[in-house]
Amino acid sequence: MTNSHPKEKEIQEYVLDRASCPADLIRHIESCAACQEEVNGYHLLFSELKQEPASRFDFDLTALVIPQLPSPKTGMSTDRFIFGFLVVFACLCIGVPVYVFWQNILYMFSDIPVYFIYAIIGSSAVILVIKILGLFKKYQGQMRILNFNYSA
Amino acid sequence: MNDTIGNNPKDKHLVDRVLRGDTRAFAIIIKNTENLVAQIVFKMVPVAEDRKDLAQDIYLKTFHSLAGFKFQSKLSTWIARIAYNTCLSWIEKKKPVLPGNFYEPEAWQNHSTENQRQYSGATNASESQVFHKELTIILKNEVDKLPAIYQTLITLFHHESMSYEELTQITGLPEGTVKSHLFRARKMLKENILSKYKKEAL
Repeated sequence: MTNSHPKEKEIQEYVLDRASCPADLIRHIESCAACQEEVNGYHLLFSELKQEPASRFDFDLTALVIPQLPSPKTGMSTDRFIFGFLVVFACLCIGVPVYVFWQNILYMFSDIPVYFIYAIIGSSAVILVIKILGLFKKYQGQMRILNFNYSA
Repeated sequence: MNDTIGNNPKDKHLVDRVLRGDTRAFAIIIKNTENLVAQIVFKMVPVAEDRKDLAQDIYLKTFHSLAGFKFQSKLSTWIARIAYNTCLSWIEKKKPVLPGNFYEPEAWQNHSTENQRQYSGATNASESQVFHKELTIILKNEVDKLPAIYQTLITLFHHESMSYEELTQITGLPEGTVKSHLFRARKMLKENILSKYKKEAL
């Protein structure tokens, strides 16, 4: 049996799922008055949380939403038609030149100076980094909004 | 995807009906999931007047995206994710002033007064009932003081009995982060309640 008291996290795990805890931990908790007190505190907290009155909307949501739904569409929708058209158009834009100029495509890049290729790769990398930084900044903003940095 | 998290045939049947234009099936979906959505909206949006619009917005988004639902999770989990993201966008847009926490003093005051009234009327009740009522009041107050994400996770995990995997699907946070937030939220709640209860007992 372990003599040191378990960490708070282990106490929570014991209360939530005793079966998955190591035997040493279970033996300690069940023979230690201080740990039992902690466990009882969590048992009480979890049972109170379970019984907390649930939040409910005080209006008839179905009656509000259903009249706003669009009427069922028949046949192919305009959106799907436009999407299909754009896909076919994009395929043609790429496919036709590739088919016609296939023999020349391989030689297209042979005369480009090496520094120009480096410039293209470099600028692409910079754009990628900027995009990633933007995403990271947005993520941090959301974290701040949700008070992740809250300390009691 | 395990079976407990995956879709069920009833969900598929309802979605198929909605996609065929049956709005009654969508009404059933709303009825089945509105309580879960309410839990998320109430925990994340402190402005009562905006909740009505948000709730409608959530279900309209659900309706328009339903064709893209791939049944990789339960329908309710997917709708909960839409609710969570809609509330997140609302917070980003409105930037409500949160005093380090997220609660409505007025609503709480009314709730508290009502509870106090019940409490004072319970003089003949047993000691444990009084303790329970008192604890409920303190708990409600302390949960409301938690950060929005902690409130949401605590409610979904302990009240709605959702799994870590479902919480991950709803919030888009890694499972480790969800577990760590829940751990901190419970610890915070336990400590705050204990200190509050001890203060009141003195």
